Amino acid sequence: MGIRVLAIATSPRRHGNSEQLLDWVLSPMVGESDTIVQKIELADADINPCRGCNACEKLNRCVIRDGMDILHDQIIEADAIILAAPIYCMSICAQAKALVDRAQVFRSRKYVLKLPVVPPERRGKRFGLFISTAGQDWDYVFDAAIPVIKCFFHVIEVKNKDMSYLMINGVDEKGAVQQHPTAKEEAIKTGQNMLILLRERLTQ
Amino acid sequence: MSRKTVVIGVMGSPRRHGNTEQLLDAFLDGAGEAGGTIEKIVLSKLTYSSCRGCNVCHKTGVCILEDDISETFSRLLDADCIVISSPIYTMGITTELKGFIDRAHYLWVRHLLHKSDPLPPDKKRLHRGYFLSTAGMNRDDVFITPIPMMQAFFNIFGFSYCENILAKDMDGYGGITGNPEIIQLAHQTGKDAVEGILAKKPCKS
Repeated sequence: MGIRVLAIATSPRRHGNSEQLLDWVLSPMVGESDTIVQKIELADADINPCRGCNACEKLNRCVIRDGMDILHDQIIEADAIILAAPIYCMSICAQAKALVDRAQVFRSRKYVLKLPVVPPERRGKRFGLFISTAGQDWDYVFDAAIPVIKCFFHVIEVKNKDMSYLMINGVDEKGAVQQHPTAKEEAIKTGQNMLILLRERLTQ
Repeated sequence: MSRKTVVIGVMGSPRRHGNTEQLLDAFLDGAGEAGGTIEKIVLSKLTYSSCRGCNVCHKTGVCILEDDISETFSRLLDADCIVISSPIYTMGITTELKGFIDRAHYLWVRHLLHKSDPLPPDKKRLHRGYFLSTAGMNRDDVFITPIPMMQAFFNIFGFSYCENILAKDMDGYGGITGNPEIIQLAHQTGKDAVEGILAKKPCKS
């Protein structure tokens, strides 16, 4: 059975800095015979915000019918989930927040209904990677994004020790990350390492 | 002729009349009692889309999207006190509120790139900004992520970021009505805000 990698580009700007980083990370995985890479562009995925109705606490599913119907299953079936989001106004962009909040159905399943979120063979084996870019060069510019992302990964059954981060700041205008001295190298290395870890873990 | 003291509450929850809105209403009631003219903007009733990150405003200082945002932001800039409210979803503010504040990027551009302050510094000191939030969870760190976002937002608008009113453990209390102290605090803070503005007292020295 192949390794499944789900990559989600959430920026409203196509092929911008965060998506470029994502593409570099994916480059060592794409074309590998044992790996299936699925890349989703959130701008085309029709994901609406959570309404806070809490119906998922009883129904075990969301009442909103949209692109999340498909993405929900893709999230469950992945061995690695990679989320790429730019920082807007000190946290992930609103488009990414919409997706993250819709993971409420997983939170209800896990903590309220106490049902499994992933099949037993994937439990405790999944990896999560958060990729981010920010225009500001402050080193604390990602601080308000990380707790949100950790919460997202927790509810979709990625353990703390299996979360990693690739965050590059000081890149604002489209294409700026291309000029960054280490970003490309770091991103490719991140992708290579993730593939090694996935192969090790899934052949255990 | 004395000008009205305008207090605008921004309701960022998709759920109407829930914990967050009740807390906001208490603040606005207090502000009204002290003589403020109160208004409430319910984000779920507005039509707006999220920022597209096109950066056109970096050149023009104007957003290319034509919807309810620019008029709403003009109203906020004309107010004396802004109260932003949101429940905590996934350790952050709601998508509705995040989409709203992300759209302030063109004002940030005017402020920082074009060096045109939305408000002169003497006015800024008397313009008060507050943040109200509710969370189901009882974690100590449940409100940590909105604070930097609100700092950025109030800074962009040229308002002093005065205080937070944070009500956690709503699941434990069985909703906001289970914690009357926090409702009373919101009411009192709204009252104090208007009295402070009328006395021309900045919330921070």
